[in-house]
Amino acid sequence: MMPLFWIVSRQLAEIAEQMATSKKVITREEWEKRLNDVKIRKEDMNKLVMNFLVTEGYVEVAEKFRMESGTQPDIDLATITDRMAVKKAVQCGNVEDAIEKVNDLNPEILDTNPQIFFHLQQQRLIELIRNGKVEEALEFAQEELAPRGEENQSFLEELERTVSLLAFEDVSNCPVGELLDMSQRLKTASEVNAAILTSQSHEKDPKLPSLLKMLIWAQNQLDEKAAYPRINDLLNATLEDPAV
Amino acid sequence: MNSINRNNGESNNGKSSIFDGLKQDLDLYFLGLSRLGSSKALTDKEEDEEEAPKELNTINSSGGFLVVAPDKLSVKYTSVNLHGHDVGVVQANKPAPVKRLLYYFEIYVKDAGAKGQIAIGFTNEGFKMRRQPGWEVNSCGYHGDDGLLYRGQGKGDAFGPTYTKGDMVGGGINYASQEFFFTKNGAIVGTVCKEKEMKGRLFPTIAVHSQNEEVHVNFGQKKFAFDLKEYEAQERLKQQMTIEKISLPPNISYGLVRSYLLHYGYEDTLNSFDLASKSTIPPIYIAQENGFDEQDIVYALNQRKTLRQLIRNGEIDAAISKLHNWYPQIVQDDKSATCFLLHCQKFIELVRVGALEEAVKYGRIELAKFFGLAGFDDLVQDCVALLAYERPQESSVGYLLEESQRDVVADTVNAMILSTNPNMKDMKGCLQSYLERLLRQLTACSLERRSANGDQGEAFHLHQVLTIGRDMKC
Repeated sequence: MMPLFWIVSRQLAEIAEQMATSKKVITREEWEKRLNDVKIRKEDMNKLVMNFLVTEGYVEVAEKFRMESGTQPDIDLATITDRMAVKKAVQCGNVEDAIEKVNDLNPEILDTNPQIFFHLQQQRLIELIRNGKVEEALEFAQEELAPRGEENQSFLEELERTVSLLAFEDVSNCPVGELLDMSQRLKTASEVNAAILTSQSHEKDPKLPSLLKMLIWAQNQLDEKAAYPRINDLLNATLEDPAV
Repeated sequence: MNSINRNNGESNNGKSSIFDGLKQDLDLYFLGLSRLGSSKALTDKEEDEEEAPKELNTINSSGGFLVVAPDKLSVKYTSVNLHGHDVGVVQANKPAPVKRLLYYFEIYVKDAGAKGQIAIGFTNEGFKMRRQPGWEVNSCGYHGDDGLLYRGQGKGDAFGPTYTKGDMVGGGINYASQEFFFTKNGAIVGTVCKEKEMKGRLFPTIAVHSQNEEVHVNFGQKKFAFDLKEYEAQERLKQQMTIEKISLPPNISYGLVRSYLLHYGYEDTLNSFDLASKSTIPPIYIAQENGFDEQDIVYALNQRKTLRQLIRNGEIDAAISKLHNWYPQIVQDDKSATCFLLHCQKFIELVRVGALEEAVKYGRIELAKFFGLAGFDDLVQDCVALLAYERPQESSVGYLLEESQRDVVADTVNAMILSTNPNMKDMKGCLQSYLERLLRQLTACSLERRSANGDQGEAFHLHQVLTIGRDMKC
């Protein structure tokens, strides 16, 4: 049986520790009041949604949203259709078509983005290899890609990686097999999409995901200073009472 | 022997809305929304209404050693300095504002005088005005004669170059990183940690100490030599990069946009959105199992859409008629905020087409009873004020004629219809989409965090984020 002295001093130590690390506690009631005090305008939320639709390239959806909500898109919807056509072409492996379309849109895009141009050419090579056109692939690699590789070390490495696909019988199991994946096409498509948006002086990313990340960050930061109702499940936006 | 009916007796055809007990809160909520567009709402928009320094403070400066010009933007040391306690120090008339990312000001050294002992820095309110900033606690100063940074003691730290006649030197506070920074002729000299000891309001401070030294100060009235906007953008970018690394659950943006469309009844957009998501490469399927309970929000989708369309077109009578058909319980109480807002909007529509006589008649019948009622009063007065102007859209109550005002009414009706859903568990589900709740949480967290930091720095404000574009605040 512990002497009373030890029990008490242990309790005091616990209290002392709590006080040292104690954070401000904000009750559910108080927090709900603050949430209610926030002024958010409907037009601003609409703008956020429209910005998302437009950046993701959903033309018809943006058009419908404009009609139903009266929100104006922040860029000309016609330019989205063109951009989406480029993206789709890359996603389907029609690289030549994509390059033509990009140049139609704005010839400066590929001129000022050598890396993207290289990735498009690389994708073209990949498609040739995928379709078993070995001779054509080699010719293309030597004439179009090798000169770029000479200018740039990382291009050269990429080129070598891609060409090495030809060395394998069973491409699905080789170390560079991922180049044949859909994900490779998507990556390039995404790059091109971003470059087009930038050339149109539009931000290449929608704002919404950044705001969600900001929420996570803000909560993490605030955790250091206070105990308050958190939202842990973003999809359901449910408030969870502070752990006291 | 009938049991006493414990309900408050509101018969809604058996469908009791969960709002029965919360009527007053709801009314205030909707009424509050209806006034968001008014100019009064805009002025209390942000606490950013801090006063910034505009000129030098002539009252507490160390007079006797120096002279401040009449425009209060330059200072000259007139005496002959003899020791370390006859510094000519001047503070700005106001402390540096804190509710922003950065504060900055510059000086131009017109004349380095006998010894070039000029200083720029920050001091607190009770500073001993005969000592160089940095020589006393709770102050910091970048000195021109030795290029050292002084932080509360007589000995300075190596910091940067000296500066003299013809140089533009700037001093600033970075609230996000809690640092002071100094510049010379447009280039950053360095930064130093703003220690916690330097609490309280800090005043931009300049000092001159030898005969004929003359310094001009710029509190932003003129263009700075230093590209402050660029620096600000860079600092924001740093923070943004940290935030971008955070990972999100997959497709969450899609999920939130979808639930937003569902919540407000944007049916056509929703259908188009679903189609587009499926034909994206790769197709996007929003997880439904743990997601929101769709039943709650698909409820009455088509009717909500129809009503929104009618209201957005200004066809208030048609809307009211449909409501009587479909949801009589919503328009049953003529004193409710819902009915009130519908009546106001009808009034506004009459004014819009110039049918002023009819508007007056309508107002007498439907709106007069709301005069003097707390919460309703402001809006009634604003509506009636529309009659006073030949071109009401240009008046201070012009906001009532905007589309956004119709949208408020549509949103109110939308929420009320959602409330009739027997499955709806809580009020918030009817009033706020998930997206809105997240945005509110973000704002509240940001404000609390700033408050915990002595109210320094920026706080999140959706409206500003959208208008500024790529600059993101937190």
